[in-house]
Amino acid sequence: MNQVMNTPPIRRRHMSGEALRRHLVPVVARHAVLIVASVLFFGPFLWMLLTSFKSSAEALAFPPTFLPQTWRFSNFVDVFRVAPFGRYYLNSAIVATTTTAGQVLTSLAAGFAFARLRFRGREVIFVILLAALLVPFEVVFTPLISLISSLGWMNTYQGLIVPNIPSILGTFLFRQFFANFPREIEDASRIDGAGVWRRLWLVMAPMASPMIGSFAVLSFVYNWNNFFFQFLVVTQPLYFTVPVGLTQLQSTNAATGFNLLMAGSTLAVVPVFVVFLIFQKQIASALAGGLR
Amino acid sequence: MVDQDNQLSTGRRTSAGDTAATSRGARRPTRMERREGRMGYLLIAPTTALLTVFYLWPVVQTIGYSFTNWNSATGSLGGIVGIQNFRTLLDDQEFTRALLTTGIYIIFVVPATMTIGLVLAALLAQPFRGRGIYRALLFVPYIAPIVGSALIFTYILSPLGGIVNGVLTSLGVAPVGFLATEPWALVSVIVFSSWQGVGYAMVIYAAGLSGIPPSYYEAARIDGASAWRRFFSISVPLVAPTTAFLAVTGVISALQVFTQVYVLTQGGPLGSTETLLYYIYKQGFVYFHGGLASAAAVILLIIGIGISIIQLRFINRSDAVELE
Repeated sequence: MNQVMNTPPIRRRHMSGEALRRHLVPVVARHAVLIVASVLFFGPFLWMLLTSFKSSAEALAFPPTFLPQTWRFSNFVDVFRVAPFGRYYLNSAIVATTTTAGQVLTSLAAGFAFARLRFRGREVIFVILLAALLVPFEVVFTPLISLISSLGWMNTYQGLIVPNIPSILGTFLFRQFFANFPREIEDASRIDGAGVWRRLWLVMAPMASPMIGSFAVLSFVYNWNNFFFQFLVVTQPLYFTVPVGLTQLQSTNAATGFNLLMAGSTLAVVPVFVVFLIFQKQIASALAGGLR
Repeated sequence: MVDQDNQLSTGRRTSAGDTAATSRGARRPTRMERREGRMGYLLIAPTTALLTVFYLWPVVQTIGYSFTNWNSATGSLGGIVGIQNFRTLLDDQEFTRALLTTGIYIIFVVPATMTIGLVLAALLAQPFRGRGIYRALLFVPYIAPIVGSALIFTYILSPLGGIVNGVLTSLGVAPVGFLATEPWALVSVIVFSSWQGVGYAMVIYAAGLSGIPPSYYEAARIDGASAWRRFFSISVPLVAPTTAFLAVTGVISALQVFTQVYVLTQGGPLGSTETLLYYIYKQGFVYFHGGLASAAAVILLIIGIGISIIQLRFINRSDAVELE
């Protein structure tokens, strides 16, 4: 990204009072706006975390306390007792990682084929895929769920995973990546006698690893956070994922247990925060990459 | 990132890949290419087959079922009824209300998200100490699971122990049941969705702003243009393609809003926060009126496709953002 400083070099020591004020006012104003915005946008998560350690009475107290009077780590034990969050975590982890792996492998292969191989109908199929990208997936859920149901896939991992594996966006991103990738390396390995299959997985895929990383992180977060589809496919607590389990906790726990509810929210949010802290750059570039 | 000079001077950007594809298309494929081409079918098979079964086929079914009395619980077709479902929908006040609610939602959420996103992206465009921290904090609502963050809002907005009502009480205002009274429930859903979506707009705008040559700002500064003026005369017009992109993706994702409504209000009070997708969900999975749900889905589909076509037109005309 651009590293160009637009602020002209200023030597603070020699600044007059007027110049200093002209320099400082925008800086202070900018920080003031950004601090207020940060409180509004991040504050709720801080509030969630603090509340998750309070007692249920303290969570309702007026005026509210900022820090918990006593840090009740036991709330998290209680959440696991009220709802099988361990199981929810396992389900979410299985569904999110498997779906992500499936999306990466199938989109990588398809994107490579669309960019680098010549076969009859290539353009037509690609245009159909692009057209499908424009139609919201959620719209067709009624027959989709009845199809999943007739396959006997309700309340199964395959029901949660397989329908989400094809990724038009992924195919599109990888096609673009390979289309813009210099052909020399691939040509060299072709001369060495490597077939399409070997070239794809042993030569091209490693080259695409930054792209794979960005797409995988974004895809994982999306699949971890996904609610609507999972909510329709699972009805048994054994297959609840974290978001589905959390809405269940909301409806059974009622309004008095905000501390436990916030502990549950914390459990859902924290894994995403960890992924985000580690992969912030990849997430931003994958999102912006959809533009190009 | 973006070849901005090219984009600004010639308008039309062509990616290297496209050029290569055209020149390759001009000559006849070699035998090797034809043999390898067959592998192409194998490589696209998983994606295309799964998409056909789990996406394209349900689209066809949705259209077909919209003309029947399909029962989504038993699966019985219940006879072909022509356009009866569409008539029923237009007469159903709940449906027209859901349509209106979705419209109101879009009118507020999309511009709010984009305006705040652009302002924040502009404030964070130049490097300064702490920029990374601000960026991360402001982006977090977008990346967090909606169920989790919407639950936080049920707490914050609660008349019992919620901090917003706490502040109101200390100002002498009586507590408001934000999620249970009209029009506050819809206002709350709109505020939540705007809050949730700003991070995305900010990141996309940041990419757009980073493509503007710094020399433009430099020249304006030398001419004595204020920061305010530079923002409105340089940044805003030059990120117009990004704005168009965000407007369309924003509308399309707003058409599908469901999760926050489910967690915050369950469509209530008295259906005042029921959106289109929520209506389809209720018809299909609560009342099992699959035919009616499909007809409503077809209407949503038509709106979505209509907006996409406008988008393509618009982008072709502005010739700057390339979805390729």
